[in-house]
Amino acid sequence: MTICQKSPEVEALTRSLRRFIETELHPVEHTIETMQGPPDEFIRPLRDKARALGFYAMNMPAEVGGGGLGTAEMCFAEEQIGRTSPVLIRQVFGQVYLMLMACKGAQRERYLLPTVRGERNCCIAITEPNAGSDAASITTTAEPRGEGFIINGLKHFISDGDRADYAIVMAVTDKAKRVKGGITAFLVDKNTPGFTVGAAQNMMGQHGVRHVELHFTDCYVGPEQVLGEVGQGFPMMLASVSRVRLAQIGARAVGMAGRLLDLCAAYATERTQFGKKIGEFQMIQQMLADTATEMFAARTMVMGTAANVDAGIDCREQVSMVKLFASEMVNRAADRAVQIFGGMGVCQEAPVERFFRDARVFRIYDGTSEIHRARIATVLMRDGQGPLGLE
Amino acid sequence: MKILVPVKRVVDYNVKVRIKPDGSGVDIANVKMSMNPFDEIAVEEAIRLREKGIATEVVAVSCGIAACQETLRNALALGADRAILVETDAELQPLAVAKLLKALVDKEAPRLVILGKQAIDDDANQTGQMLAGLLGWAQATSASKVEIAAADAAEMTVKREIDGGLETMQVKLPAIITTDLRLNEPRYATLPNIMKAKKKPLDTVKPDALGVDVTPRLATLKVAEPAKRRGGGKVADVQELVAKLRNEAKVI
Ligand SMILES: Cc1cc2nc3c(=O)[nH]c(=O)nc-3n(C[C@H](O)[C@H](O)[C@H](O)COP(=O)(O)OP(=O)(O)OC[C@H]3O[C@@H](n4cnc5c(N)ncnc54)[C@H](O)[C@@H]3O)c2cc1C
Repeated sequence: MTICQKSPEVEALTRSLRRFIETELHPVEHTIETMQGPPDEFIRPLRDKARALGFYAMNMPAEVGGGGLGTAEMCFAEEQIGRTSPVLIRQVFGQVYLMLMACKGAQRERYLLPTVRGERNCCIAITEPNAGSDAASITTTAEPRGEGFIINGLKHFISDGDRADYAIVMAVTDKAKRVKGGITAFLVDKNTPGFTVGAAQNMMGQHGVRHVELHFTDCYVGPEQVLGEVGQGFPMMLASVSRVRLAQIGARAVGMAGRLLDLCAAYATERTQFGKKIGEFQMIQQMLADTATEMFAARTMVMGTAANVDAGIDCREQVSMVKLFASEMVNRAADRAVQIFGGMGVCQEAPVERFFRDARVFRIYDGTSEIHRARIATVLMRDGQGPLGLE
Repeated sequence: MKILVPVKRVVDYNVKVRIKPDGSGVDIANVKMSMNPFDEIAVEEAIRLREKGIATEVVAVSCGIAACQETLRNALALGADRAILVETDAELQPLAVAKLLKALVDKEAPRLVILGKQAIDDDANQTGQMLAGLLGWAQATSASKVEIAAADAAEMTVKREIDGGLETMQVKLPAIITTDLRLNEPRYATLPNIMKAKKKPLDTVKPDALGVDVTPRLATLKVAEPAKRRGGGKVADVQELVAKLRNEAKVI
């Protein structure tokens, strides 16, 4: 049994997902791209279909109504999901943050459960204009006022910030402690006085997911809006980060590369120049072979690391390596795909240019390549190869 | 009533098959395998009949190697209640499969067996008919619509697409149906059903235990690729066309 071997259940799931994606989603990818933020009427029927099939929030535990998939199982599912566009992924399969499992008491009915059911949309707001990679340096504050807190600050680049019914907002509650107990996560509802959605920030790719600024001006939230414990925002986020990175960057990147490779292999056997299929030219073959080989490497890394996560092994540094390699791999795959398609590769008549634009941000969000490289090198020099899984 | 649905593991319909170098058959090493698409339609039809309250139980059956379990798990994920694998490494020809199915029908006593009209690998289009013959049951092949009024109905109505129109047949039960492409559109397997399928029973029997000799009756002499299509050409006039048809193609 290899690490990429699927159980019969996962095999059935990935087949069903593949068919759903090819039948229901591929035909609307182009339309949705041009909508600049698809209206709810467009998304609802697709999301409802996915929900009826149990394909919504598959990452969440079964006891809260999610799919209950383990990390490796989720990665196999995400590989399929990666074969469609990021907008559709978020809207149809759901972007439900594992961190919501920290919801307690009435928060479960208000936030966790309706989000898993696809009835409420959520966004997560950490990044600020002056705090990106250095997320610990955020300056949005939450100061005690009465029983609750007053939030002040500006967040930006917040995916689906305009569509969200509520935001998970990271704010400083203790300037001295910062990441060590001084940053708290808050659940802030849309329309809370003092909370407004600001300007849209148009991105080169992933059109249809809108990214916005979120403004907080003397925004009062009660104590019941704290997610988890006061001061525990960062550790809580880090607790689920390995799973999220593996599935949503690693496995999705593999899936996207797979889709690109299918498109390239088909084009190479159809397109004729100089009286030959372009796939007969060795320079085209080299590009196909390199993408296939790198995709195989990334896939093996994803699944091997997912098995470790499922076994309860803390393999954060391995996850960093997977995130780094898979995100860069899919960008090389997209670049080669453009090259194989020639002019059609940069033309909006073919899907390749869209993947090229969509893939770029994989190297930036969820920790830039540089941040992960720095982490890997630091751990190597400090603790040797063991934590990197190389021994 | 109980419905038996035989399902076959075949090369996936997206795969471009290759002939083995020695011409003995199709090379299926490392090739993606799936449930025969006509059989998926059969499973879907059976599940719909159960959902309507006509059928009480849907039993999926596959004959072949251990890996056919995967195909059966798929049928269970779509909604079949339990599964039986007739496990053998022997090459199975339509008559052998029909005999194995007959033995299972004798054991399970279904009132309806729904099969695909053919498997997309060997395209034999024989198993359903042979099974009907062995059982002495009525058969409705290439069905595009099936209507059964009640669980204890003595007859059913089946529509078939034939050359030049639709044929409507009144068929006595118990009976055999084989499915055509337009009978229905199989559903997606849902995640909860896929997980439930894990707990559904899958029994294995051997042909010997069913008292069936599966020895092939037919020998495959050679499997070859279809001739490559040659490029066309233009002719200047009718005389040239006729000359080419007579001298080159030798068809007139
Ligand atoms: C499309 C998109 C969606 C996003 N969605 C969200 C969201 O939903 N919620 C949210 O909170 N945030 C979101 N973000 C923000 C994202 O997490 C940040 O963009 C990311 O963390 C990088 O921060 P930055 O853009 O400020 O870049 P910077 O941190 O300013 O980095 C600039 C450059 O400096 C390099 N660099 C920085 N520090 C180091 C270092 N220590 N060593 C070496 N090099 C370094 C970086 O690698 C990069 O090359 C999104 C961003 C994008 C583009």
